[in-house]
Amino acid sequence: MGDTAFRSRRRLVLGVAASDAHAVANRLIHLMLVQQGFRPHNLGVCTPLAEFADAAADLDAAAVIVGSVNGHAVEDLRGLPDLRRMGRLRCPVVFGGRPSIDAAGHPAARARLRDLGVDHVLDRPEELPAVLDSILSAALTHA
Amino acid sequence: MRELIDLDRAQRRRLPDWSEIVDRLRSSTRDTAVAVLRRGGGRPALQPRCGVGGHPEMLALLRALDRAGAPDLLSVTIDSHTRLRHFATADRARRENPGQLNGYPLVAHGWERGRALVDAVGVPLQVRHGSPDGRDLFAVSLAAGITSFEGGGIGYNIPYAKDVPLAESLRAWQQVDAVTAALAGHGVVLERELFGSLTAVLVPPSLSLAMTLLEALLAAEQGVRCVSVSYPQSGEVHQDVAALRAIRSVAARYLPADMTVFTVLHEFMGVFPADRGWAEALVHYGGLVGRIGAADKVITKTRQEAHGIPTAAANAEGLRLARAACSPLLDFIRLNEDRVTEEQAWIETEVAALVEPVLNRAPTLAAGICAAFADGTLDIPFSASVHAHAAVVPLRDPTGAVRYHSPGALPLPRAALDRQRGLLNQRTGRITEKILADINYFAAREPWAAEPEEATA
Ligand code: B12
Repeated sequence: MGDTAFRSRRRLVLGVAASDAHAVANRLIHLMLVQQGFRPHNLGVCTPLAEFADAAADLDAAAVIVGSVNGHAVEDLRGLPDLRRMGRLRCPVVFGGRPSIDAAGHPAARARLRDLGVDHVLDRPEELPAVLDSILSAALTHA
Repeated sequence: MRELIDLDRAQRRRLPDWSEIVDRLRSSTRDTAVAVLRRGGGRPALQPRCGVGGHPEMLALLRALDRAGAPDLLSVTIDSHTRLRHFATADRARRENPGQLNGYPLVAHGWERGRALVDAVGVPLQVRHGSPDGRDLFAVSLAAGITSFEGGGIGYNIPYAKDVPLAESLRAWQQVDAVTAALAGHGVVLERELFGSLTAVLVPPSLSLAMTLLEALLAAEQGVRCVSVSYPQSGEVHQDVAALRAIRSVAARYLPADMTVFTVLHEFMGVFPADRGWAEALVHYGGLVGRIGAADKVITKTRQEAHGIPTAAANAEGLRLARAACSPLLDFIRLNEDRVTEEQAWIETEVAALVEPVLNRAPTLAAGICAAFADGTLDIPFSASVHAHAAVVPLRDPTGAVRYHSPGALPLPRAALDRQRGLLNQRTGRITEKILADINYFAAREPWAAEPEEATA
């Protein structure tokens, strides 16, 4: 598996989007990340994007991980371009969960999320470690 | 009425006078939700969840379900923004992109449109939401002529918000209850359904019943004399029937003698199978459990639960499946009554152990509930809210029944815990793997026949 000590060198900010109260995946992902050697700071459910940005700045986090399954991801991440423009959110943003309210809406919602500036749009928690590893190693080599 | 409930000023300005609201509710010739439940009919009343963002689309959805599913009641399921009182966001979303809302933003659409929903169908409507503070939504619902409103200060806070102090949500719901009681004084008895499903994933029955009992007691304090108590199907039939019966026995023991209690089964609320056949089997099973457990009402699910917000057609099929399960066709099914009786006795013991310390805590019941959550003697698994410890860890025993693996700080009696541990000890493996497997208990099962993956267009 190689050396994963670098996973603990920088913090990650984890949470669920502003209008979404689904807690189970968030709790399990938090657990999984800790078990795999990452250092997530979990903001939990119903977290406005600005709070992700503030926490990322405070902790000098390497990435922000936003989950959403209630179908409102696009609306809840609507403020991302503004936060980027103001320089309030500089690190990569990873999205995971259900982008839309039904399967038919997922492709368009994924595209919208990318347009808003989300760097990685994921479906499953198992995809997270590899994506986070690449973000962390890039951040550490540039540090 | 007005002095009983504090409303947002902007919302209040949009509402008709309370006298008009009350007069209209009193003079309506439509069935109320409670009238439907009182009438019974030899099987549980059936009701789907349903809500879409656009008004014409919502009208069409209600009409389609009324026609194709023959429900006894229909829902107005509210979108997430409105639930959290993000009324401005809900308003913008319903103007710009109503098709992407996960429910009907009733406050943004307004009470006039709510009346159109009521008038569109022949059965009463219920507002189902998940608002820690649903006061404005409640007022708009009443102005619309809707006679059923779900929720309570615990069950609509802890699973549904991150950081709303319990004292605040309890106060908001006390006002809803006070208005409910006052309306009953005018002859309008509302259905007030308490949300026993909580976080919906592996909820031990005694925990569900303890929370709804406390909410029912709070409602009774405000003068409410009619509540519906809901319970989420765990998936093990003896446990589920025992829990439905225990709602009645526990109510008889702790609630005022003149209080009417309707029992409601929420068809399986956890992670649904993606496979169509399995999902349909589970929907059918839910109806059957409701019938065997003599529930007054069953809230149905759909075969699309794992895929996304269901289409009207899939939702209507869910109703038909549940109705078939409730028909006399399956009356030959007999449970092991000894097992049910034993489960019920344990549930009653556990509920008493959870609730009685709270009742004896000064100075008020609401304050006692807040204090108990603060020290973890009331708690729920996977809490969304920071105001519960979430130290309770549930697991399924080998029969599939939901048990306490770890009670956290819940004051459960020694004997009950020993029994639970004994049942769980028969399972081996790592705890995180067991929890995952149990969350996916129905989702992970192999379908008996491969079916093409369903597109939820
Ligand atoms: C349990 C549940 C609830 C509980 C939640 C309790 C709680 N506080 O946690 C209750 C009953 C309260 C609830 C409420 C609502 N729910 Co709900 N709920 C579910 C249910 C049954 C299971 C969700 C769950 O816990 N799964 C287990 C966890 C481990 O997995 P998961 O959340 O499904 O996430 C998986 C992936 O999406 C991914 N993932 C999730 N987050 C992240 C994050 C990252 C970074 C990554 C990489 C991956 C990832 O990994 C997980 C494992 O594969 C699903 C349907 C189903 N799956 O069967 C509906 C479902 C998610 N709910 C839904 C909705 C819409 C709501 C409501 C808005 C009500 C409504 N209008 O119907 C409200 C939420 C209110 C709000 N403010 O958000 C919809 C969402 C529609 C969609 N997007 O497709 C679903 C799909 C049901 C449906 N078919 O309509 N719900």
